[in-house]
Amino acid sequence: MSEINLELNSIVMRFGGNQAVDHVSFSVIKPQLIGMIGPNGAGKTTLTNVMSGMLKPTNGTIYLNGRRIDGHPPYDVVRAGLGRTFQITRALGRMTVMENMMVPGLAIRPRARRADIEARAHEILDLLTIDHLTNELSRALSGGQRKLLELGRLLMLDPAVIILDEPFAGVHPRLQETIYSYIHRVHEDGKAIILISHNMGAVFELSQRLIVLNNGALIADGEPQAVKSDPAVIEAYLGEDED
Amino acid sequence: MALFQRIEAAVDAGIGRRRLGYALLALIIVYFLWFPNDTSQSNYAKTVFISGFFYAIMSSSWALLAGIAGQFSFGHMAFMGIGAYVAGLVARDGLAFLTAESISAVGAIFIGTLVAGLVGLVIGWLLLRLRSAYLALFTIAFSELFRIVMLTEYDYTGGSNGLSLRPLLQIADVDTARQVEYYLMFALLIVCLLALYWVSNSPIGLFLRAMREDEDAASALGVNVVRYKILVFVFTSMIVGLAGAIFYSDVGSERIIPEQLEILQMSLIIAYAVIGGMESLIGAAAGAFIARYLLEATRQVVITLPFGLTMADGSDAFVWEPGAWRYALFGLVMVLTLRFMRNGLLYPIITWFSGRGLVMKETVAKRESDEDHAGRLEVDNE
Ligand SMILES: Nc1ncnc2c1ncn2[C@@H]1O[C@H](COP(=O)(O)OP(=O)(O)OP(=O)(O)O)[C@@H](O)[C@H]1O
Ligand SMILES: [Mg+2]
Repeated sequence: MSEINLELNSIVMRFGGNQAVDHVSFSVIKPQLIGMIGPNGAGKTTLTNVMSGMLKPTNGTIYLNGRRIDGHPPYDVVRAGLGRTFQITRALGRMTVMENMMVPGLAIRPRARRADIEARAHEILDLLTIDHLTNELSRALSGGQRKLLELGRLLMLDPAVIILDEPFAGVHPRLQETIYSYIHRVHEDGKAIILISHNMGAVFELSQRLIVLNNGALIADGEPQAVKSDPAVIEAYLGEDED
Repeated sequence: MALFQRIEAAVDAGIGRRRLGYALLALIIVYFLWFPNDTSQSNYAKTVFISGFFYAIMSSSWALLAGIAGQFSFGHMAFMGIGAYVAGLVARDGLAFLTAESISAVGAIFIGTLVAGLVGLVIGWLLLRLRSAYLALFTIAFSELFRIVMLTEYDYTGGSNGLSLRPLLQIADVDTARQVEYYLMFALLIVCLLALYWVSNSPIGLFLRAMREDEDAASALGVNVVRYKILVFVFTSMIVGLAGAIFYSDVGSERIIPEQLEILQMSLIIAYAVIGGMESLIGAAAGAFIARYLLEATRQVVITLPFGLTMADGSDAFVWEPGAWRYALFGLVMVLTLRFMRNGLLYPIITWFSGRGLVMKETVAKRESDEDHAGRLEVDNE
């Protein structure tokens, strides 16, 4: 089990006059399964981009296992132990599924034997039920298969903290099962997972802790059942969903 | 078509495509090694080949930069020019505490190559945040800037008359000289191709392709995009800097002129690579060589008339000098290539020999036969 200590201190991300992330602070100190919810435009993806190093926050700091990571490029953040998937999948189109897996494998462990990395890639692809697609170009994959490939690439990096941005969007229920078992498996491996999703059923089933964003601000953070009955959350978000 | 399929099957059953490909490649190399010993060939023919080798280096290294790494640069000729001009200038004027006399031709070439690499480093760094069209515009501006400085600072560079470099080989006998120049340039091409292949087949090649596909995704997957983007500029700049410095050290040409750095010339490098196959190093090299050869061969087209027919002027041959029309025709070929064979005219041949088509067919067949997976393939199409 790898060390986990992620700490966000008053993160602000401003685009011109638009404050997409507004003084968000929270920390993750154990291999928890954390759901992150909030209405469209709440700032979930933007916060993910800030945490993963794609965006430099306007203000605030992020520490991961004692290292400051805010403003560092993504390839550094990933090495420090934080990996993410993309809401809109970003397969390396004109490369095969195996090559998509080898890129992170070789990038993180340049001295490892290629055959070992390949064996690991096969293991993961098998777990994700896409081992038969190994030699296909990834642009030939369906939307759902691409989601799985992204999850697979992430495992090649073996990060301590994983952010999944909408892993269920546009995915058939049967494939969702695969993603469920992936999440459980990764969690059992001792990793912290931040699960961003509009799929309330999945979020409440999987999460041990819930973080709610609204208009860029963190409005609740705690036990899912407690958060669910929080008046501020009901007002901002869940209220409309309840029937 | 049936005949071709029968040949295909025979090759697959026998020697195998890959080995047949290597055998053919070996034959081609043997032919090039033997060529200067063919007494029926003129020195002019050798000169055409020498410049063919030079352009093959230019196009194949550009294929690594643009085709594999996705950095569509127009600065390639300029880096070549930097290598050549710097080699010429240090051999004439010296460098810092080194006197000109103490710098040999080899030393000058070395310094030229190094400076090309250093400028590649700076340009690579400046280009970090620029993509596609902006990168192309930036490198056009850089290339033109360099050309205009070389043209304008004629006190140093000789302006439009060009600059002579210190001759690398000093061989009095013309025939021998041409022969040695030929082998030198051919050896340089082989060495450059080996170096380019080594990079493109290493993990670096994989990272470069990942960056070409999606730079942000590559970065999120742990690829140090800054390092590799700079690296590919330094590496290719040094290759063309070296090739330029050697070629213009009286090996292929006696002087470097600014005209050589015009955008038109750069466009030709790109065109050779596109026609040969931008993502294939050997394809781009072959494309450049063949195109150079054809452009030379069609300077004058002579068609001897059959059946005793004669032209109005009494001659028995139709003579056509296409001049610039060669380039127009060439442009047309490039347009058609881009429209109908985006991977280049040589791509089908190269993939056939590499057996990659075979692999693809196999996986499709495997998928079709694999019922367990067939079910899974259906479910996720939402
Ligand atoms: N690059 C950008 N430039 C300007 N504004 C941006 C940029 N990226 C995001 N925003 C703005 O930030 C706000 C938050 O967007 P974000 O994508 O983070 O929301 P989200 O919570 O992920 O929403 P969704 O549930 O729809 O995915 C939005 O108002 C959006 O317009
Ligand atoms: Mg989002």
